[in-house]
Amino acid sequence: MNIELDDLTRRFGKTYAVAGVTMEAGPGVFGLLGPNGAGKTSLLRMMATVLPPTSGRLQLLGRDPGSYGPRREIRRRLGYLPQNLGYYPGFTVVEFVEYFALLKDMPPGQVPRAVARAVEQVGLGDKARAKLRTLSGGMLRRAGIAQAIVNDPELLLLDEPTAGLDPEQRVSFRAMLRGLGEHATVVVSTHLVEDVGAACSQVSLMDAGKIVFHGTPAELVARGEGSGAAGDAPLERGYSAALAAAR
Amino acid sequence: MTAVTEAPAWPARTGASRAAAPLSLLRLLRIELRRNSMPWLLPLIAVLFWFDSYRPSASVPPLYVLRTFWNLGQGHTIIDFGPFVAGVAAWMGSRDGRRRTADLVTGTAWPRWTAQLATWAATAIWAVGAYLVFVGVMFAVYATEHVQGQPPWWWVAVGAAAVAAFSAAGFAVGAYWPSRFAAPLAAFGGFLAMVMSSQTGFHDTSGWALILPTNSNGNLQPDSGMLYPYLPDLPIARVMLLAGLAIAFLGLTGLPRAAGGLRLRQIAAAVTVTGMAAAGTGIGLVTTARLSPHGIVIPALHDAASDRLSSYTPVCGQAAGRPVCVNPAYRSDLADVTTALAPLLAEVSGLPGAPVRAEQIPAVYDSADGQAGQAMTITGQPPVLGLPLGALGVRGAFGWTSAEVDGQLRLLAAHAFVGGGAGTGTLAQQAVEAALLEGAGVPFASQPSLRTTVGLPSWARPATGNTGGHRHGPPAAAGPVYAAARRLAALPAASRGAWLTTHLAALRAGQLTLAQLP
Repeated sequence: MNIELDDLTRRFGKTYAVAGVTMEAGPGVFGLLGPNGAGKTSLLRMMATVLPPTSGRLQLLGRDPGSYGPRREIRRRLGYLPQNLGYYPGFTVVEFVEYFALLKDMPPGQVPRAVARAVEQVGLGDKARAKLRTLSGGMLRRAGIAQAIVNDPELLLLDEPTAGLDPEQRVSFRAMLRGLGEHATVVVSTHLVEDVGAACSQVSLMDAGKIVFHGTPAELVARGEGSGAAGDAPLERGYSAALAAAR
Repeated sequence: MTAVTEAPAWPARTGASRAAAPLSLLRLLRIELRRNSMPWLLPLIAVLFWFDSYRPSASVPPLYVLRTFWNLGQGHTIIDFGPFVAGVAAWMGSRDGRRRTADLVTGTAWPRWTAQLATWAATAIWAVGAYLVFVGVMFAVYATEHVQGQPPWWWVAVGAAAVAAFSAAGFAVGAYWPSRFAAPLAAFGGFLAMVMSSQTGFHDTSGWALILPTNSNGNLQPDSGMLYPYLPDLPIARVMLLAGLAIAFLGLTGLPRAAGGLRLRQIAAAVTVTGMAAAGTGIGLVTTARLSPHGIVIPALHDAASDRLSSYTPVCGQAAGRPVCVNPAYRSDLADVTTALAPLLAEVSGLPGAPVRAEQIPAVYDSADGQAGQAMTITGQPPVLGLPLGALGVRGAFGWTSAEVDGQLRLLAAHAFVGGGAGTGTLAQQAVEAALLEGAGVPFASQPSLRTTVGLPSWARPATGNTGGHRHGPPAAAGPVYAAARRLAALPAASRGAWLTTHLAALRAGQLTLAQLP
């Protein structure tokens, strides 16, 4: 398993953002659904090794990120797109992606080719030399995805990756996710259930810091059937039904 | 713990990948250099540098020791750079916080401290590089203006170290306080530090305050870089302080938990302590400093070779048929010197102890007189007039006119001739001195005024009872000294010469009274 969480918690003051999450995930695309404040971002930040857990056990790529050496090895194999993507406005797309490729300890000789490939993959080839300050929100998001995938990660964590993407880009992005999921573990945190339905082989639903549903998208759809839960699509009805059952 | 079943995309970190780290760092640095904010501020600094560091220096005589006393000795080049560099460095140091990229950078394999050091290095390279280029251009302009002497390279090194220290300090402020207000705060802090440093530097001539890079006391001596080298002792101590501070501030940025692993943070702590130790050692060393004739000496750093006089081939002219030789750096002043000395040398020609030639000797710092003009000497057999011109004894140093320079040189030479030494001399010596000056073209009426000009040794001021004020009502050439001087001057030249020939030995020995003058 590339991700192993056992009773993982994260507390901010008296508030539990993540309250005893246990899960495992191997290669494939893993959807993380939940309402605002469910704890998805905190869980992803812990998996990205930037936020230490308050308690519980966390194993990533078979290593314990609590120790410096293993954490460094995890980070070399990790791709992370935060929910609020920060960027350096004066950098070009290529510089931005190259910057993080170098920080990820990629062999310097492979960096230029990997950067070009990542930029092409997200459809920013024609904007490669454009400064980030000149890009639209969707393009910035794609630049963020490019930096996340530039090192061909074994563990890819994407927090709201499709926010700001137009429908056409979203479709191609999902296709890219499916391709990445063949070799790597991809965790996609999203509000958009259609992303989960189209790209994910497994899905977890978080609410109030806990996993309240874990299964395949089909199983989530099944939860909604005949439940009378609100939603325009089967997955949305399953989402609403699972949440209602947990509350 | 479950073993990884799939082959990793990147091989585990090996010796080869560690060897590639410098290359990665260089590529990172290239990006940081290209996108650094420092270049945007350089035009502003260039304008400030031009008006504050170069232009004031251009109004003094073309000697490096004078030109650079203001901009390097008093640290104006540092004042021009420091606050801006600190501000920009703080801006760069706060970048990850302002741009919300801290998570992205922290979540990478390289320790965040390494990435931060690359950002700082780019800022420092721009800042220090610009400093060196600006100073280099200034020296190039000096070269076109035929500025003489050696440039004070050690002081340039102090400035470069100061700029690096400002960049490190500002960067630490930004890293610890990642806000848009970090930059103005750091810039203001840098400015305040320089103002306080300047104020303290003006008043303190010894002790720890000598370490301040704006403290000019004892820095550049009258003939530094010409007749003797610039002493490197004090600059070395200052470089130790400034480099130490830079290292300590950079170490501080590696202390937070997010900076990296425990080992790295231990290294950062060691770096901080090392930097502080270097800075403390620099301060400790200057407390042992003493002022020597050629500058500040710090015993633990002093190299006796620095005390050796510079060798040079003098340039010579003629004054009243006698050779007058000076250091090549004073070539442009030679005509002034010979013109000034000619009447006096003619006046004393043929008298016992009259110099057969004049040679420049090193002007040295005197704590009583500051860097004012130095007393001349007549030594050896045949007698040689020693001219301690010094950078401040030439035309233009204090805005003197040619007449004032002529008068001062004649006064100093006459004082040496009557054996006045380093004091005012006896009343008889003062009277003969005044009479000789009258004969050499300095009328009695203008002598009190001449003695009040800035830059003369302290003995010149009270010698005839004037108050030492600068052109504020000099006393009249009256009193018993001038009365005796007038009597002597009124004698026919042959009679005066005969009397002097007979009595010069007693006069120089201080055995004559005023009443014994004819």
